[in-house]
Formats: sequence, C-alpha cells, structure tokens
Amino acid sequence: MENKKYTFYINGVHCASCKISIEDILSEQDFITKSNINLKKEIIEIETDGNKNTQEIIDIINNKIKNNGYTISEEKISKDLSTSDNNIWKALLIGISFLLLFFILQKSGILNLGIGGETTPTTSFLIGIIASLSSCLAIVGGLVLSLSAKVAQDNNKSTGKPLILFHIGRLFGFAFLGGVLGLIGQALGVNFLLSAILGLVASLVMMILGLNLLGIFKKNKITLPSNIFSFFRKVEHATFAPILIGIGTFFLPCGFTQSMQISALSSGSFFSGLLIMFSFSLGTLPVLALLSFGSVSFANSKYAQLFFKSAGVVVIGLGLFSFIAGLAGIGIINPLFNI
Amino acid sequence: MKNKTALIIIGLGLFVGLAIILFSIPKSNIVNNTKLEQIPNSEIKDGIQYITIDAKGGYSPRVSTAKGGIPTKLIVKTNSTYDCSAALSVKSVGFQKILQKTGEEVIDLGTPVSGTPVRGVCGMGMYNFLVNFE
Repeated sequence: MENKKYTFYINGVHCASCKISIEDILSEQDFITKSNINLKKEIIEIETDGNKNTQEIIDIINNKIKNNGYTISEEKISKDLSTSDNNIWKALLIGISFLLLFFILQKSGILNLGIGGETTPTTSFLIGIIASLSSCLAIVGGLVLSLSAKVAQDNNKSTGKPLILFHIGRLFGFAFLGGVLGLIGQALGVNFLLSAILGLVASLVMMILGLNLLGIFKKNKITLPSNIFSFFRKVEHATFAPILIGIGTFFLPCGFTQSMQISALSSGSFFSGLLIMFSFSLGTLPVLALLSFGSVSFANSKYAQLFFKSAGVVVIGLGLFSFIAGLAGIGIINPLFNI
Repeated sequence: MKNKTALIIIGLGLFVGLAIILFSIPKSNIVNNTKLEQIPNSEIKDGIQYITIDAKGGYSPRVSTAKGGIPTKLIVKTNSTYDCSAALSVKSVGFQKILQKTGEEVIDLGTPVSGTPVRGVCGMGMYNFLVNFE
C-alpha cells in the first residue's frame, strides 16, 4: 500500500520539548513513517503506511499522547475562548491575592520575632523558617516557583527529580559553604554588589519565565536567547544544573542569609559554620519544598492551566518587586517601596 | 460575561490594595513629616551630632531631621536583627556592611550639608531611611 499523508490539529502543545516528546512517541509506532509538528500553526503532519483509516489513526495517537495532556483532532477545536479568557482573569485574581497576602505578611511585622542570644543550630533553624516567609521569599521562592512551574510545564512526565536535586544542592551547598566561611573566617558571598547583581539577574529570569507561564508569547513561545534557552533545557533534564542553581541560592541577596553567613563566619570552625548554615537552609526547606512540589502536583491536576497562569502572575509580581528593590539597593534609583 | 466583569472588578480592587501596601508610608512617619510629635533621635554632644536609627524589620524612624553643618555620626542600633535591614548601605559615605545581629554601628557622616539628605538602603532595597539636614 501507498503511504498516505494526514494533517491533524493538535491541542495542548506549548513548548519545543513537548513537540520533541510527541514526535518521539509517534516514531515508536510502526505504521507511522514520518511525523512533524508545526508549533506555530498547532498542526501535526503524519505520513502512514496507509493500512489504517483516519479515525483509527486519531484514536491510536490520542491513546498514546492523551496522558501527557495532548489531543489531536481532524477539526480545529475552537478553543472556548471565553473560558480561556476567564482563566486569565481568574489567574490574575489568584495571583494578585497571593501577592497581597505576601506583602501584608511582610508589613504586619509578625516576622520581626526577637531571636536573641547565641546563634545555635536551633536558632538558625528558626531563623530559616522566618526567612522562608520573609521578603527573601520574593526572590528565592519566586525563583523556585518559576523554575518548578516551568519544569512541570515543559516536562509532562514531571517526576520532580530536578526539584529534588535543587533542594539537595541547596542544603549541602549551604552546609559546605557555611563550613568554608567558618574555616577561613573571611567574607565570601557577602559581597553587596555581587549578590545584588545576582538578584537582578534572578528577578529578570523570574519575569521572563513568568511571561512564559502566562502564555503571553502565544505564537512564538520561546523568546529567550538560544543559549539561555539551552541552559534551561539543561535545568529540566540534567542533573548538574539544578544542583548548581541550588548551591547558587547561597549568594542571592537575602538579609537573613547574609546575617547567617556572618554568624558562620565568626563561628571559628568548619564544623560550626557548617552546622549553622545547614540548619538555616533546613529551616527554609518546608516552604520551598511546598512551593516546588506543590507546583508538580498542581501541574498534574486538572487545574494545570490555571495554576501555570496564576504562578506566572505571582512570579512576574515578585520578579518586578525584587528587580525594582534591587536597583534601589545598589543605589541606581531611589527606593520606591516601604515594605 | 457577568462572571468576567465581576472577576475584573475584584481583580482591580485587589490590585489597588496591593499598590496601597507597597507604596504607603507607615503611620509613624506621617507623624514625623507633619512634625506633630517628632521623636527626637538626634543629640549634640561635645560638638558632634549623633543620630540614632533602629534597624529591625526596617528602619525607624524612617524619616528624621537633623542639623546640617556640624560633624555628624549615625548610630544604627540592631537588636536580634537578621533581616535585610542588617545589610546596610549608605551610599553617600560609601558605607556597606552587614551589621552585627545585636549592637551599635557608628557611621561617620562627616559634616553634612544642609539640604542634602542622607539615605540608607538595605541590601535588597526594600527597607530604607532618610535623614534630612536643615
């Protein structure tokens, strides 16, 4: 029999890696000799050996890819514009409510608990918990949320493995670097300008990922320069990058982290510095883990699209806040906020 | 359609709330600005003016006024301060330091000129204070 060509509409594909994973699945089918997805037009072109009719092909393919949230159809499914429109508004609502709660929490002064006395592993742990709810969440939590949501969105079989690696990298990176601080007793990672610049970079990344999550760039989804993009591809798939980012959070601007670094610095030994920073990062773990693994479970639920959009709103808000505050921090602009 | 309008209205309301929180000035500072009840935080001793500012979960007073034209030192008091306000930077005198969690940091402001305020910002930029010299 002769090869036959079909063109179907495909729904739910939102990224280059989804395209690759669908094409991978299809290439495993014997009867399909060729497949090509056009992301822009949201169509898929398939060449078959001609032994199956159209409906059979659609059923077989849908069976294979529907678990990942994709479907193909002969007719273009007119995406119910009003619902997706409502989704955006709902997402804005959820996102802004979250931001509102976050800043009310900051302003309430609840977090200005007095933890005095010696810095012990216990106090470091408590300070870690406070830090993870403080304005540091704007930058560290925002980054965790944006990366987690992005990983979950791009990687449909979201196992959360990169996220686990991130947290491991963070915990042990903090411990090791804390130990080094205690050992050398000299400033490392407490350089104002360096951490401020890292903070600005992180907020930019957050804003770009946020816009991506929102799906603002509907037609050309990836607008990151290709080398940055390939870096994020590595974040999603490799082992090394999530660990490295986890360690890198040590240098992000956060008053609490920096104060703890000073404590580690003056602790006098490798072991005590290690203990202080490890307990601190352990204290930050619950909230950060909730953010990242919460993202994964939302992404696997039926609220996935709403979640991605809401996360996008939150991340853009936090990114914008950290960016403007960061500029004020290094004195480029006058402070705008009075948190 | 009704649903959507409602969503938009609630969204706008929340947005305004957010703006108020982000940009509003704490009550204590309004009091300072109108000088109804200025908390005296500067004193002159042996010809040197000392200005005291507390750093914890922000700086207080956030806006204060002192005399220009005399040698001035800024005392920043920390008390179990772990948050951003411990990472202080006063750009006009090139001061950048992560303060001890409890203690007093004395920063030499030289002889401030009247009309040129001195601003301090924490490392991440969300807390700041301003000292006006008149």
